[in-house]
Amino acid sequence: MKPQTHPLQEILKHRIAIIDGAMGTTIRTYGMTEHDIRGQRFQDADKDLLNNGDLFSISQPDMICDIHRRFLEAGADIIETNTFGATSITQSEFFVEDPRETGGRKDPAFYQKIIDDPMLQNLAWEINETSAKQCREWADRVGNETGRQRFVAGAIGPLTVSLSNSPDADDAGFRVVTFDQVKIAYKEQTRALIAGGSDLLLVETIFDSLNAKAALVAIREVFDEDGFTSAGNELPVMISAAVGRGGETLISAQTTEAFWNAVQHVKPLSVGLNCSLGPDLMYPFLSELSAKADVAISCYPNAGLPNPLSETGFDLGPDDMARFLGGFAGDGLINIAGGCCGNTPAHIAAIAKALEGRAPRVLARELVAA
Amino acid sequence: MSNGEKEQIAAKPLRLSGSQPFTQQAGVFIMLGERTNVAGSPKFAKLIKEGKYEEAVAVARQQVENGANVIDICMDEGMIDGVAAMTRYLQLLASEPEVAKVPFMVDSSKWEVIEAGLKTLQGKGIVNSISLKEGEEKFRANAAAVMKYGAAVVVMAFDEQGQAASFAEKIRICERAYRILVDQVGFPPEDIIFDPNILTVATGMEEHNNYAVDFIDATRWIKGNLPHAKVSGGVSNISFSFRGNNKVREAMHSAFLYHAIQAGMDMGIVNAGMLEVYEEIEPELKVLVEDVLLNRRADSTERLVEFGERLKRASSGDTAQQEKKTEEWRNGTVEERLAHALVRGIDAYIEQDAEEARVKLGRPLLVIEGPLMDGMSVVGDLFGAGKMFLPQVVKSARVMKKAVAHLTPYMEAEKAEMVASGQKVKAQGKIVLATVKGDVHDIGKNIVGVVLACNNYEVIDMGVMVSAEKILERAKAERADIIGLSGLITPSLDEMVHVAREMERQGFTQPLLIGGATTSRAHTAVKIAPHYSHPVVHVLDASRAVPVTTSLLSEDGRDAFIAEHRADYEALRRKHAAPAQKVIPLDTARARRTPIVWRAEDLPTPSFTGVRVLNDFPLATLRDYIDWSPFFHTWGLKGIYPRILDDKNQGVEAKKIFHDGQALLDTIIAETLLTARGVYGFFPAQAVGDDVALYADESRTGELARLHFLRQQANREGTEPCRSLADFIAPLETALPDHIGLFAVTSGIGLKALGDRFREQHDDYNAIMAEAIADRLAEAFAECLHKCVRDEWGYGLAEHLAPADLIQEKYRGIRPAPGYPACPDHTEKGTIWRLLDAEANTGIKLTENFAMWPGSSISGIYFAHPQSRYFSLGKIDRDQVIDYHARKGMSVLEAERWLGPNLNFDPGDQVA
Repeated sequence: MKPQTHPLQEILKHRIAIIDGAMGTTIRTYGMTEHDIRGQRFQDADKDLLNNGDLFSISQPDMICDIHRRFLEAGADIIETNTFGATSITQSEFFVEDPRETGGRKDPAFYQKIIDDPMLQNLAWEINETSAKQCREWADRVGNETGRQRFVAGAIGPLTVSLSNSPDADDAGFRVVTFDQVKIAYKEQTRALIAGGSDLLLVETIFDSLNAKAALVAIREVFDEDGFTSAGNELPVMISAAVGRGGETLISAQTTEAFWNAVQHVKPLSVGLNCSLGPDLMYPFLSELSAKADVAISCYPNAGLPNPLSETGFDLGPDDMARFLGGFAGDGLINIAGGCCGNTPAHIAAIAKALEGRAPRVLARELVAA
Repeated sequence: MSNGEKEQIAAKPLRLSGSQPFTQQAGVFIMLGERTNVAGSPKFAKLIKEGKYEEAVAVARQQVENGANVIDICMDEGMIDGVAAMTRYLQLLASEPEVAKVPFMVDSSKWEVIEAGLKTLQGKGIVNSISLKEGEEKFRANAAAVMKYGAAVVVMAFDEQGQAASFAEKIRICERAYRILVDQVGFPPEDIIFDPNILTVATGMEEHNNYAVDFIDATRWIKGNLPHAKVSGGVSNISFSFRGNNKVREAMHSAFLYHAIQAGMDMGIVNAGMLEVYEEIEPELKVLVEDVLLNRRADSTERLVEFGERLKRASSGDTAQQEKKTEEWRNGTVEERLAHALVRGIDAYIEQDAEEARVKLGRPLLVIEGPLMDGMSVVGDLFGAGKMFLPQVVKSARVMKKAVAHLTPYMEAEKAEMVASGQKVKAQGKIVLATVKGDVHDIGKNIVGVVLACNNYEVIDMGVMVSAEKILERAKAERADIIGLSGLITPSLDEMVHVAREMERQGFTQPLLIGGATTSRAHTAVKIAPHYSHPVVHVLDASRAVPVTTSLLSEDGRDAFIAEHRADYEALRRKHAAPAQKVIPLDTARARRTPIVWRAEDLPTPSFTGVRVLNDFPLATLRDYIDWSPFFHTWGLKGIYPRILDDKNQGVEAKKIFHDGQALLDTIIAETLLTARGVYGFFPAQAVGDDVALYADESRTGELARLHFLRQQANREGTEPCRSLADFIAPLETALPDHIGLFAVTSGIGLKALGDRFREQHDDYNAIMAEAIADRLAEAFAECLHKCVRDEWGYGLAEHLAPADLIQEKYRGIRPAPGYPACPDHTEKGTIWRLLDAEANTGIKLTENFAMWPGSSISGIYFAHPQSRYFSLGKIDRDQVIDYHARKGMSVLEAERWLGPNLNFDPGDQVA
């Protein structure tokens, strides 16, 4: 049952691996319009699609591949698929009328229709598979050119629904969606990401630990049902939470160590923090996680807190991010580093440069009685 | 075989979590709360069967308050739909932050109920239980499923042949289960918890007599032989034959636990509120109980039964005393109680308190807009400070809802009366909420909706991706009082501007609320509000939604709120519109530090180093040092003393107040109405970059502290130096020993009493006069002390300056103060206070905001170099703030907050 050491695991022993930056922020620098994202295929869609960035992988593959290439050339060892919202549930927000507009409500009956909808299922599959293939192609291309292996992380986002929160003022026990519905949507996504050639699975921007748990259960079931477990070739799993000012998962309010206890059983390749606070405010929680977890630590924060009045929407420039993450490396806190919202290829290049030759965090293994 | 003792020491602790982590501590017994178990608590079973879930949640809350580390939840009862009840109950508990912090134990004999429970746990809980009862295959499958969800597991000592009663059977089954779990399933051994069956003793059946001993022995064996495994059990089983005799039962439980814990039992299902302390068991009872538990004599059961009967007869007279503990917070005022209940999310007394407040305040609305809203503001503050989390905010809102629900009938009655008497009645507020077109983010807006709905507003949530025209159409149709927009991604900001424009074009008048992660107060003020002539208000988070809405809809408070809001946003716009000054990079600025050629002869050595205290400094001496010009400014007169006394417009008035001031000063000095105290010190010092390091002694090895200074960066285009106060101390690399001085003085001791005395006599004039004079004395004290300091330093002795020259600061050296133009960061005072022990030595306290108390206090830093001079820092750039935060060890946000007026960039309003 002993899993072979994954090549990324090997790399993590010797240096800090770099993960890429923000897809959304970078897409916005290309000046795409509603017309561009629709292309022929979605020209008749009822709702605006421009912010459904995952669709660009289908309608503007050249731009998306250009972004992947730029992140790889900036020095990213790991690139994320453009699939943050590529589940039937999240896609439904863009393609299905919101019943609340006409006085209805969203509930498990509504979401059952969503996960049973073949159009949404097929679309989610297609985005995941296509994006993973594009990433695979560019990771291998740049990898071959530079003689440095690159990895594709299948990105599994947090969804637009919460399993921990009730939107009903009269009923704190109400949930709009069930655990099983969320799990089904995540299983489809997982299978498609693997089919497209992902090396890793990255459950990220976790603001609700129960949503994340559904994703982790989904991954386990896919591994078991599709023969990965028996063949011993499960994909490594990376886990990354988005925390608030008290270090809590933003919606379900689970503090850092509690979160680690809840996901540790997955034996992830890495656990870490991304998005939300920016590097400065993230620091205490990152160091807590680093002290508690006996796996690699990842960190890819936003370029500071959102600032709607700044040009990119975020305050920190490439040098700022490089300085912060360089500081984290100096404190021996990280094994994987990159950026989330607000981080362009220039940010990643600066971070990669700052971390070159820097020692990774030493993995503290819990001492086991012989 | 390994040594049991050693194994226990090396055992990995059990780690669990709810919203908070739980780590087993060595030697600390884990209490599993049992009152939320339908099998163990008829009361709880009744609540569930009757669908009284709210009261059932209160039971869980009590368990946690009584110290349960984990709560055991069981719905196994013939009349209950286990899957539905388990799901619903756990989802309710997830919304109860005080309960959700602990890990849950999902307890059922039915696998589907266990799995339903696991699907609701965000943390790592415990499954209770699985066993080999239905064979190995089912056991492996269930264990693998538990692992998939990430929970620890209780394994019952039960197999295909039945329940293990004897020691031999218990350890046989536990070892078999352990090997399957660890070797075949890969289950983490530290997450395996054996329940080797606590069976009832003293039943009268001889074969039951050794049950307690068997359990204890099995526990010891498991802990010695199955590495990392834990042991648990349902404790109350042991005493089942003494039902109805709580005294005996409690003694049995404590004694049993005492022995089982010594053998290594890690945890047990116990009633945390019903446990006698082992040491306090009555000695006779303890012997009898232990005889039974440890199977020490053949007649032990009879003896205990007999004792139990006696006990029962003796206590039949007094009724079971329900100990009614009054919680301390219940002693506060009704306002305090309401605030406490909201902050802590306690709804037990909220209706009672709301009623009391209604009677007290006279009108139901005053309760909502008064104490309840104040409580919600506290919640908002705590949330903003990261001290409360979102689920707690929502829970507070739900408590609020109960209070509002209680008050509603009274408001209805009030309205009915008003209608009857022909007055106009305002309907309940109605709010249309939507996430704007192009944005699918739903959850944050939902939380705002819940919080508002809990405050009796009618919330129409239109969902996500809603276009402007649909929002406005609906708002018109519903006659909404307020429209709220939400958005989480950057492009939503433009859509919000669009909605505001549309509202203007269509002639809307309702207030517009703006919220969501990328929005900000500054952005709302600068980019959105100008497009709409009615209020556009940024709502920082869900906790702020209620105060804003209430203010906007309040008949009495509305106008004042809007006026204040407009002024506030206008200020933000002006600030934003101010063109950023041209700044040069910090590195460049540093290269252009004050050009000083360092020579030993410019660096005088003070006559002492360390700290000196000046108690009761003579006020008469200070009088000569007073600069009177600012005294006139206090009174609104502009001019320079003494010329102002002859000013043709202000002269008469100036003479009068000068005369009155002198008279009061005479009295103050004669009757010592004020006391002047000070402390000052000299320290060996060297500049290190833009910091100055202060040393304990002349060896300059032990660094006492660092003062952190800032450097001019803006409008330095020419060759003008970019100054920093650090420039005036010899840099470390010059190897020339230098010194720095620190001081804090006050003449405000007694001022409050003096002012109060005048005010009591309704003599505000002299009250203000006293303050003006105390201020002058403080300044004079600082000036006078600076003179002493220059003398101590040596170069002052040759000054021969008249007081007028002193006032014009014609001497060498400066004494800038933190919080003033050269070093605007007030927090540097903290360093001064520490080094001078200023509070103990002078009585001057620093407030949370680093203001000095009492007033009429001055502190600062002495620089002696001939080229040291005052300057104004001006604007600084982000690079210096980031550098400063690292030097100072405060967060960037905090640094931005303290340096706000000096920032040449807009840090966004996340600081607010």
